[in-house]
Amino acid sequence: MAAVTDAAVPRAPSLLAKTGTAIRRNPTIFFGGAILLILVALAALAPWITGDPLKLTPSQRLRPPSERWWFGTDQYGRDVFARTIHGARVSLVVGLSVAAFASVIGLTLGLLCGYFRKVDAIVMRVMDGIMSIPSILLAIALITLTRPGLGIVLVAIVIPEVPRVVRLTRSVVLSIRSQPYIESAISGGTRGAKLLIRHILPNTMAPLIVQATYVCASAMLVEAGLSFLGAGVPPEIPSWGNIISQGRAFFQIAPWSILIPGAFLTLTVLAVNLLGDGLRDRLDPRLSRRM
Amino acid sequence: MSILQVRDLHTQFFTQDGVVRAVDGVSFDLDQGETLAIVGESGCGKSVTAMSILRLIQAETGRIVSGSIKFEGRELTTLTEEQMRGIRGHDISMIFQEPMTSLNPVLTIGTQIAENVVRHLGVSWQEGLNRAQEMLELVKISDAKRRLDEYPHQLSGGMRQRVMIAMALACRPKLLIADEPTTALDVTIQAQILDLMLELKEKIDAAIVMITHDLGVVAETAQRVVVMYAGRKVEEATVGELFAHPMHPYTRGLMRAIPRLDIDAEAEGRRARLQEIPGMVPVLTQPIPGCAFAPRCPFATEKCTAERPPLVENRPGHIAACWHTDRVLEQAA
Repeated sequence: MAAVTDAAVPRAPSLLAKTGTAIRRNPTIFFGGAILLILVALAALAPWITGDPLKLTPSQRLRPPSERWWFGTDQYGRDVFARTIHGARVSLVVGLSVAAFASVIGLTLGLLCGYFRKVDAIVMRVMDGIMSIPSILLAIALITLTRPGLGIVLVAIVIPEVPRVVRLTRSVVLSIRSQPYIESAISGGTRGAKLLIRHILPNTMAPLIVQATYVCASAMLVEAGLSFLGAGVPPEIPSWGNIISQGRAFFQIAPWSILIPGAFLTLTVLAVNLLGDGLRDRLDPRLSRRM
Repeated sequence: MSILQVRDLHTQFFTQDGVVRAVDGVSFDLDQGETLAIVGESGCGKSVTAMSILRLIQAETGRIVSGSIKFEGRELTTLTEEQMRGIRGHDISMIFQEPMTSLNPVLTIGTQIAENVVRHLGVSWQEGLNRAQEMLELVKISDAKRRLDEYPHQLSGGMRQRVMIAMALACRPKLLIADEPTTALDVTIQAQILDLMLELKEKIDAAIVMITHDLGVVAETAQRVVVMYAGRKVEEATVGELFAHPMHPYTRGLMRAIPRLDIDAEAEGRRARLQEIPGMVPVLTQPIPGCAFAPRCPFATEKCTAERPPLVENRPGHIAACWHTDRVLEQAA
């Protein structure tokens, strides 16, 4: 009898087993998150693990990847490894800041639009206007008007991303407003700011976080596109976009200076999207069928 | 003493198809400590009546067009939104039909109860939480202290309805409006919840407006019943009187549609069969000149479709709006 009871009691799973279960349940979150973490670590430690990305070594131009030059060198003899890892900083800073700014601005406007019908009518028309402008063109226009720099790139990418967040938040707020628990809160005397902030805002978080990951991925791509066109960060800051742009002329003899930063860009965007998909499935299973 | 007086209430919704007369001239009184049931099928205006009392009709879609709602002598229809907020959840509370969706999924039980207490009674957050715990104990939720930190999804449907009751009663309201409080629960839980509501009502001496389509719930809980059909009150009586002598053909139809175990129809030589009321609820966008029930009524005559029957007190304390009360009672006897 005692033996049976003992056998029936499951042993506490070990830490390793628990991690294994977590990975099996959410493989996309895990792999996306892991790739991102590695990239963030590389980018943060770039000055210590690589050489100077701007240092010219004229005697070592267009060298293929080797033990000395892991990712080869470009037409000026600059280390592509150092440039690529430093370029990760620009991409990550742009991706994360754009996601943060666009979310905060979009969330605020979206909440107001979903809650106050009069604000809605005005703000949504402005958003429709912004959405009708091609984002790359808007960015190029803004950048040509000012001195190039990281700040203006951020502004130029945030503006076209905001309407997407506003629309999402607004639609979520509208659907939450008609939920019985909101009616119930109103029937208890809650109204105005408190209803909006305490009862509605937390319910918008799950879809917003998922949307933020997509905004992050899209911002990285737009930044690379702008830098490729020469309208992004200034050339003295290496970014995947301008590395690819500069390597373009020598693609046939030195393909590594394009393929490697390109692969990093693809991998990063993929990781962010994987993370977003995983979070979506985890935070809001209903969304996964809709999108 | 009457705590709530509703007089000739008209609530209308303005839709693309026209004006929906959801509540069309309803009047009733509610005494302190009394339980009044409002009965009727879906769409008869019983929930809208409740929402009108708390002024919860969304201004974009509809409004109280005319009539008066007096609560403790105060006219509710003319109060400002700010004043109404002080009444909602404090003097008048409401319990909704859907316990599964009437609690905010992202806030803890404790927060949701304490919030109302803090707002209306002006106590500290900690005192609010203490009151929340007291209320959970009162509605017989075990381990109340731990439950304060739990989220709605961690509770079963019956427990959530208990939480809703705790929330509604936390500020000791004088009037509780229960909109089909047991409809979404299974039968064994229904009885527990009803018993609990009645017990707590005695404890805090509140009056209850019980909105339901379930005559079983009426018989168990209420002292008086208002029967509504198509936005109008068609009959009102005490519970015993109504079940003994239903005077309106609609009320009789409702009663015949309840399965009963105590009538042995087989023994009388006919098959036990529930009788439904033929036809459909009328469309409320068209004005109905006569009795709204006439198209479905076996007693209907030309007079019924032409002229609206007044509410007449045919027996002491028992009023009904029907031209043919005599024939209805005769057939029953």
